[in-house]
Amino acid sequence: MKESRLMLIQYATAVVAVVLVSVHLIMQGVIYPYSTAISFSNMLSVYRNGFYAIFLEALLVIVLVHGFNGVRIILHELRQSAPWTRWVDAGTVVAIVAAVAYGTRTIILAIFGGVAG
Amino acid sequence: MAVGEERARNRRGIRGWLNPYHYNAERWAYVFQRVSGVAILLYVIGHLGDTSFFVGGPTGTGPSASSWAFIGSIFENSFGHLILILVTLILFFHGTNGIRLILTEFGLIFKKPAAIEYPYKAKSLGSGQKYLIAVAIAAAVLAALWAFLVLFEGMG
Repeated sequence: MKESRLMLIQYATAVVAVVLVSVHLIMQGVIYPYSTAISFSNMLSVYRNGFYAIFLEALLVIVLVHGFNGVRIILHELRQSAPWTRWVDAGTVVAIVAAVAYGTRTIILAIFGGVAG
Repeated sequence: MAVGEERARNRRGIRGWLNPYHYNAERWAYVFQRVSGVAILLYVIGHLGDTSFFVGGPTGTGPSASSWAFIGSIFENSFGHLILILVTLILFFHGTNGIRLILTEFGLIFKKPAAIEYPYKAKSLGSGQKYLIAVAIAAAVLAALWAFLVLFEGMG
């Protein structure tokens, strides 16, 4: 992908992340008191609400793409060579896929997994 | 300047970010944008780890109240809350300053070109950018204060 397009993705994910992270923070301390927001029963109901589950997955993908692409941009600023560029780009893709997979696993298990005491 | 010296000067890497010589507010905002971005990413990775304990951690199979209580016993204390306040502070600065950088990237808050006059201040670094950096700092401080009230005073 062209570097200019990757920068556009960086800006687009930044704007979306500002909105999603703001909503996420409002849910932790405005809609519910913090102690209620992080209680097991409330989190279970949040994960098992289809809308919030999709919201959390979108938050996960947007923030991780923005974050790892940002690190990629920093690493390209610090050093320039063809092998470095290839390794950094490949490492970024692997990191995004691994982190999104782990976060998605949490969401899926929270929705479909059996509840233990 | 010799070629070798110039090359070394252009390859200062992270040390170059932190060299305060001849820095202005925009340059410091640039440095903090990168440092805060890396810090936030590290927090997000840690947050993925701690929220996974809602489903029993890396080897879990579903929501587990005991696993969630275990991770809460580690992080839900004054030190953990101070970390969250610090994260809120840098998160809001990063977000607000990031919007300034996007506006700058698309040329929306540059001053109009004008004749070059002594003392040759860069026209791009007009008052608009300085105001937005001040807004970013104010937003970060207010957000940190809000986080303090939510976490330590039970407001929210």
